[in-house]
Amino acid sequence: MKKIEKKPEVLAPAGNLEKLKMAIRYGADAVYIGGQAFGLRSRAGNFSYEEMSEGVAFAHEHGAKVFVAANMVTHEGDGNGADEFFKTLQSIGVDAVIISDPALIVVCFNAAPGLPIHLSTQASATNYKTLEFWKSIGLERVVLAREVGIEEIREMRRHTDIEIEAFIHGAMCIAYSGRCTLSNHMVNRDANRGGCAQSCRWKYDLFDMDNGEPNSHLRDDEPFSMSAVDLSMLHHLPDMIDAGVNSLKIEGRMKSIHYVSTVSNVYRNAVDAYCSDPVHFVFDPAWDDEIWKVAQRDLSTGFYYGVPTEKEQLFGKARKIPKYTFAAQVLDYDPDTKIATLEQRNNFGVGEEVEFYGPGFAHFKQTVRDLWNEDGEPIDRAPNPMMTVTMTVDAPVEPYFLMRKKSDA
Amino acid sequence: MIEIIATAESLEQAEALIDAGADRLYVGGHPFGLRLPKPLSLESIGRISDLVHRRGKKITVACNALMHNEQISALAPYLSQLGKFGVDTVSIGDPGAIFVLRELGLPLNFIYDAGTLVTSAEQVAFWISQGASGAVAARELTLKELIEMQQKLDQPIEVQVYGPTCIHQSGRPLLKNYFKYTGGVEKNDQTLYLRDPKNPDSQYPIFEDTDGTHIFSTDDLSLMGQLKLMRENGLNTWKLDGVLLHGERFVQIVSLFAEARRALESGAFVPESFCNRLVKLQPAHRPLGTGFYLKNPEDVH
Repeated sequence: MKKIEKKPEVLAPAGNLEKLKMAIRYGADAVYIGGQAFGLRSRAGNFSYEEMSEGVAFAHEHGAKVFVAANMVTHEGDGNGADEFFKTLQSIGVDAVIISDPALIVVCFNAAPGLPIHLSTQASATNYKTLEFWKSIGLERVVLAREVGIEEIREMRRHTDIEIEAFIHGAMCIAYSGRCTLSNHMVNRDANRGGCAQSCRWKYDLFDMDNGEPNSHLRDDEPFSMSAVDLSMLHHLPDMIDAGVNSLKIEGRMKSIHYVSTVSNVYRNAVDAYCSDPVHFVFDPAWDDEIWKVAQRDLSTGFYYGVPTEKEQLFGKARKIPKYTFAAQVLDYDPDTKIATLEQRNNFGVGEEVEFYGPGFAHFKQTVRDLWNEDGEPIDRAPNPMMTVTMTVDAPVEPYFLMRKKSDA
Repeated sequence: MIEIIATAESLEQAEALIDAGADRLYVGGHPFGLRLPKPLSLESIGRISDLVHRRGKKITVACNALMHNEQISALAPYLSQLGKFGVDTVSIGDPGAIFVLRELGLPLNFIYDAGTLVTSAEQVAFWISQGASGAVAARELTLKELIEMQQKLDQPIEVQVYGPTCIHQSGRPLLKNYFKYTGGVEKNDQTLYLRDPKNPDSQYPIFEDTDGTHIFSTDDLSLMGQLKLMRENGLNTWKLDGVLLHGERFVQIVSLFAEARRALESGAFVPESFCNRLVKLQPAHRPLGTGFYLKNPEDVH
């Protein structure tokens, strides 16, 4: 009988401490975060050392790991202080750092011997010899480039035993990661030092130049686009797991709590379902429904089953994807009265259909029938950010369950 | 000693480039070399290698692609053949290729050439510790940074002094996909450009090959005006890239840089005069610029 020898880890992004805790509560085995320096997401909420300590303590209490991305490509002087940074991360108990710049790798080896290093996807590892190279340097894991196929991963696994991490969900760079400086050239922002302006998502004119003169726009009504749909391997998890991927990575340190909790929840549940009984595994359509509630673009399998065609790129008008809004977080629940205490995150009110969801892929829909403010006075709507309200719920909930509603069209 | 490196697209052009004053030719072919004026067969590379050596010059062969399993598994015999030709150097942009070279135990020099990823002396020192004899600097560095880097290193930092610079490499066939979507006639002959509608002066060359889609800078880089400063600071490895400029015109530009070197060495270098002559040789539709070289490091972040 087929058995999964080594269950892969579900790795979720965490832009801040609250998201870190949510991702772990919702099933992530590990999270990756950014520190105050050396990262690539200068605009993502990055962690102070204090927040990192709290995050690491929380993660370890829950049997989860914390990786810190230090994946900047440093220029002269950018590496100053990196030794102290890595030393501090090690003393905090961070489980690994994610680096692409070999200068930082060397600093990390010297400053924090024993702190595991993962090669960032910025280094675009696309073959097994490259994996073997980084293993020989002493790295523990390689995050693959998004351009590799499933068959290529299988072949890599036959040739090397270094840990393999691969993206399973989220937005994708259009270029080989790290091999794009559109932002540098277009807006003086260094893509490899946290300044990416996402110029690959812009629209361009494509024109033909004969004899030194631009002669025609090839098609005026359809601007050139290189932007692509997002990645989702939800329907192909068995392939990813059987290929020998050790860590299934979800993209998105800039994404919301709503997104991170939902995506972590789905992949946790799906990975558990497959690994517990691969032979009788059946895909649960509820996973798909759930993923689409937080999808921001159409979804595809990226490069895993072949080079993406025009169908995986964003041309013309984007397909309308129903949007859901994070409405409230459950603070408390009284099973006797069936009344839940909620913290408001977005305006909602009586008569609206809402959905509660919680860790372990719990979810149910109901209509808001009643609502009280903090003083116990009945109200129609909860308009104020972070206000505490109570309402009757149709099924038991627990603290950290979240409530969403369909966005107004 | 200043070394002038020029890309070569054929045996004939190779000969002309050596006549023009190139010290080292840079050639390569699919599926191992990236963004070449013309991908050459191993046989052609062998012939150019013979010619270069007969003329007492050097040859670097591009093995700088980001390689997938299929490429990397075919690399060893390719490198062995290059070893037999006696090529002087290969350029490598994928650490897997270093691993293969090491396994082969070939006495073949390599430089590290990973485009955008070589941005500090410490990185270059790492690749040197892995056997590299030098490295190619990212085009997004400023001269100030390049000078600082070179001062920390004994090995040469190769700096592009002329030509277009690649600013984006996608694994996707971006042109083919676009034409498929629009139903337009597929075109991919190095005459296509992108323009950012917000910047009417922009025109980014774009083409597609077996490595994916490549987008280049609006300007052709030229450091003609800064050669003196470079020489004074030990930036003596000059690369001229003819990936988008073919035939005789490129040879003339290489010749002009070689003349500039002689003028520099004899103390007779007048940058304005050389810059003016370069403008006359430069194709009208390709503006010349200094890219990031003259910016302040603080201006790009």
